[in-house]
Amino acid sequence: MIKFLSSLKLFFALCLALGGAFIYQTVFNTGPAVYASAWFLALGALLALNIAVCAGGRIKTAAPSFLLIHAGLILVILGSFASRALRFEAELPLRAGAESDRVYAGNAVYQLPFSLKLESFRLDYYGEPTGSLTVMDEGGGKDFPVKEGSVISLPGGAEIKVLRLLRDFGLSPSGEAADKSPYWHNPAAQVEVKAKGTRKKLWFFANFPGMHRSELPFHVFYKLENADIKNFTSAVLVRPAGGAAFSAEISVNKPLRTLGYTVYQTSYDPAEAGYTLLTVARDRGLWLVYAGFAALLAGIFLWLKK
Amino acid sequence: MAEKVTLLFNISFALALASLAAAAADYLFKEKAPRRLTPALLGLCWLALTAGLALLWARLGRPPLANQYESLLTMLWFIFPLSAYFYRRFPVPEALWPAAFAAPVLMGVAGLLDKTARPLMPALRSDWLIFHVLSSMAAYAAFALAAIAAAAALARKKTAEDEELLLRLAKLGFAFLTLGIVTGSVWAETAWGAWWSWDPKETWSLLTWLAYAAALHLRKRGWHAHKFAITLIACFALVLFTYFGVNFLLSGMHSYA
Repeated sequence: MIKFLSSLKLFFALCLALGGAFIYQTVFNTGPAVYASAWFLALGALLALNIAVCAGGRIKTAAPSFLLIHAGLILVILGSFASRALRFEAELPLRAGAESDRVYAGNAVYQLPFSLKLESFRLDYYGEPTGSLTVMDEGGGKDFPVKEGSVISLPGGAEIKVLRLLRDFGLSPSGEAADKSPYWHNPAAQVEVKAKGTRKKLWFFANFPGMHRSELPFHVFYKLENADIKNFTSAVLVRPAGGAAFSAEISVNKPLRTLGYTVYQTSYDPAEAGYTLLTVARDRGLWLVYAGFAALLAGIFLWLKK
Repeated sequence: MAEKVTLLFNISFALALASLAAAAADYLFKEKAPRRLTPALLGLCWLALTAGLALLWARLGRPPLANQYESLLTMLWFIFPLSAYFYRRFPVPEALWPAAFAAPVLMGVAGLLDKTARPLMPALRSDWLIFHVLSSMAAYAAFALAAIAAAAALARKKTAEDEELLLRLAKLGFAFLTLGIVTGSVWAETAWGAWWSWDPKETWSLLTWLAYAAALHLRKRGWHAHKFAITLIACFALVLFTYFGVNFLLSGMHSYA
C-alpha cells in the first residue's frame, strides 16, 4: 500500500485525472463547478498523500531541494483545504455617512468585531476626459471637440451650438437636467441645432448613441475619450469594538487589514455616487499556503542551482 | 514617439528575419559563416527590441505588460538572453536556432494583435504586475526555446546529445512558471480577495505546471532522448493554449492578458 501511495504511477494518474477535470471544467462544463465536488477534493487529498508518502520515504536521503519542494506542495494543498473549510467572506454595502458592523453572505448576516463608516467614496480618473461631437451625413463623418459655448459650422449653413455638457446626466426634483454625481457615468451634451430654417435644442448621450436620427438631416454622436478610471476608493472610519477609531482608505489593490480581517474594495454603483460595495474576508488557511509557497520557491531555487 | 517605437520594432523584425535566414543557411549548407552571423543578428535584434520596449514604456508611463501584445513582446525579449546563455553553455545549433525561429514568428504574431494602449485598469495598478508578468513570460520563453530545440533535435536525430540542454531549459521554465503562479496568487489575494479563484487562466497555468512536473518525473522513469523531446513539444501545446487559447476561447478574470 505504501509503495503504491508513494509511486510515480499514482502521481501520473493523478496528473491525468486532474488535467482532465480542468479541461472538462473550463471547456465543456456548464453546470456546477467540479472544484467543489467530493471526487475532486479526493483527488487533491490523494495528491497530497502521494507527495507526502513519497517525500517521507526519502526524508533521510533526499536533497534539501527535493524535501522543500515536496513539503511546499503539501502545505499549499493543505492550506487550500484549510482555506476552503475556514474562509469567511461576506459583503458590506455602505452609503456615504452610513456605519455598519453587519455583513452579508447570501441570506446570512454576520456581525464583525468592528464597524465601518463610509465617510466618502471617490473615483479617480487618469485625467480630464475630453468630449467630441461626430457629425455624419452621406459624405462621411467628422469629429469636433466640444466645450460649452462652442459653435460648429457645417456645410449648407447648418450650425451646432454646444449649450451644456453634463458628466452624469440626471433630473433634479424640479425636472431640470443636472449632474447626479461628479463622475463621468452618463455624459451628455445639450446642443442647439440650426438646420434648414429650424432650430432645435436636443440632448445627446455618449452611452446612448443614435438618438434624434429622424429629426435631423445628419447624424450626431456625442462621445467621450480618455475616461479611463484609475482607481476607486472608499474613505472609511474604522471603529473596533472597545477600541479607538481610526481612518483608513480602501481601494483596489490596497485592502484594509484589521483585526484578522481584510476589507477589499469590490465595486460601486454608477447610478449612486455615494455607494460602495466592500468585501470582508478572513482566510485562516492563508498562512499555510504562503508557508507552502515560500518552501516551494526555496526548493525550486536550490533545485535549479543543482 | 509612437513612430520611433514602430520603427524600432520594424528594425527588430527585419533583423529577426535576417537571423532566421542565417539559421536556415546554417542548417541547409552547413557553412560556418551563417553560424557566426546568427548570434550577431539576434543580438542586434534584441537591442532594437529593447530600445523599442524602453521607448514604449516611456510613452505609456507604465511598464508595457498590460495586454497580450505587450506581454508577447516581453516574452520575446526573454528569448534572446536565454538563448545566448544556453548557446554559450551548450554550443550546439539546437541552442541557437530556436531563438532565430521564435523571434520572427513571435514578432509576426504580435503584429496581428490589438496594439491599442490603454491606461492600467484599477486591478492592474500594482507592483505585482511586474513580478507576475515577467516571471510568466520568462517561463513561456524558456518553454518555447525548449520545444523548438526539441523539434530541432528530433529532426537532426540529436535528442540524446541535446538532452541536457532540453532538461535545463525545461527546468528554468518550470522554475519561472512556479514563480509566476506564486506571485499571481499573492497578487490575487490583494487585488481580488482570494489567492486562488479557479479562473480559466489560473486553471490552465496549473495544468501546464502539472504537465511539466509530470514530464520531468517521466524522464526519471526512463523517458529520455526522443521521448523527452516529444514530451516537451506536447507540453508546449498547453503553454500555447494557456497563453492564447484561454484569452480567445474562454472568459475569465484574465481577459486583458
